[in-house]
Amino acid sequence: MLRIRWFLVICIVLAILLPLIAQTVTSASQPTEELQPQFSRAFVLVRRAETAGATHEEVTGLVILLNKALQLDEEATRLPGSDAQRAALLAQVNETLGRAETEATRLEVTASQRTFNNKIVAYVTGGVAALLATIAYAYGGHIWRRYRIKRTFQMRIFPKVK
Amino acid sequence: MFSQSRRNLLVVFLTLLVIFEMVAYVTTTPRPREQFFQLYVLGANRLLSDYYPNDDPNIGVADLVRWYVGATDLMGSVQLIAIRVKLGNQTIRPPDDLQAQPSPAPLVTEFWRFIQDNETWEIPFFWQIVNADTLGGSTRILEMQINNETYQVPGLSALDGHNFRVILELWTWEPQPETLQFGWSSGNERRVAWVQVWFNMTSSARQ
Repeated sequence: MLRIRWFLVICIVLAILLPLIAQTVTSASQPTEELQPQFSRAFVLVRRAETAGATHEEVTGLVILLNKALQLDEEATRLPGSDAQRAALLAQVNETLGRAETEATRLEVTASQRTFNNKIVAYVTGGVAALLATIAYAYGGHIWRRYRIKRTFQMRIFPKVK
Repeated sequence: MFSQSRRNLLVVFLTLLVIFEMVAYVTTTPRPREQFFQLYVLGANRLLSDYYPNDDPNIGVADLVRWYVGATDLMGSVQLIAIRVKLGNQTIRPPDDLQAQPSPAPLVTEFWRFIQDNETWEIPFFWQIVNADTLGGSTRILEMQINNETYQVPGLSALDGHNFRVILELWTWEPQPETLQFGWSSGNERRVAWVQVWFNMTSSARQ
């Protein structure tokens, strides 16, 4: 009796889990599973370059490379039974992803350096602007005081006319 | 000791320094914004109309249906997306917006693309039913052709061929952990985008 109950419980659990497992399996169908880590790595590197401050145009170049790799991978998947051709296409995918990774790494360094420089320039400019504004304020005050003194000494005293 | 005027100048300098540095901070720090995707289907003339040949939702075998499917990335970063094409009937569950669950309808095909921030990716989606049969009043679609590629449909049927639907779901690739997920994460929330277009398959099916 207990065994039958366990069997039923297992059947119910399997009935719930199997569709979920099937869903996971279909979701991993593209890009080719063996290349997924590489796509993922290239993708992460491109995102890092973007976060580091790469411009839209710079990222466009990387995205073009990634999409080319994706297209080649799709072509390789669709090739009917020609292993040599498929291997050649997958090698091209590898090469394209490698280029994207190298370029993204280089771009990340350049972009982070550029972002850092831009920040330094912005903050230093803020300091310099504050200093110049203070000097202008001091000089303006000085001129104003001199003007007031000059005006004071230019005053004349006239006797009251009756 | 500082004279009164120098002390005043120091106060002016420090005030201006704080103001200018705040301006520098605001200009160099990217502003946070809402992150989302757009997903759409347009008809034959790239408008929100003319979804069916001759404006007739009763589609027969070999009737070519011309749509344009597009997605726009407004996530603020590069994304790897997949548009999944599923075929459903009236009884099959649509995607669940609240639970962020995809539809259990059978997957016909999917389109993958790396897409940049603020980029719209639009593809022609020309499809036709190439093989269907009718059995006891129930019509079953067996094969579909999408953009000149033929796909087997795992036996989906509808009573009298009414109320089939093409469901398009937007999936995104999460690099950590390497998984494809329905929808996308926005802060702590999970959001989804999907569209569906209904049609009938009421003529020319094999008896």
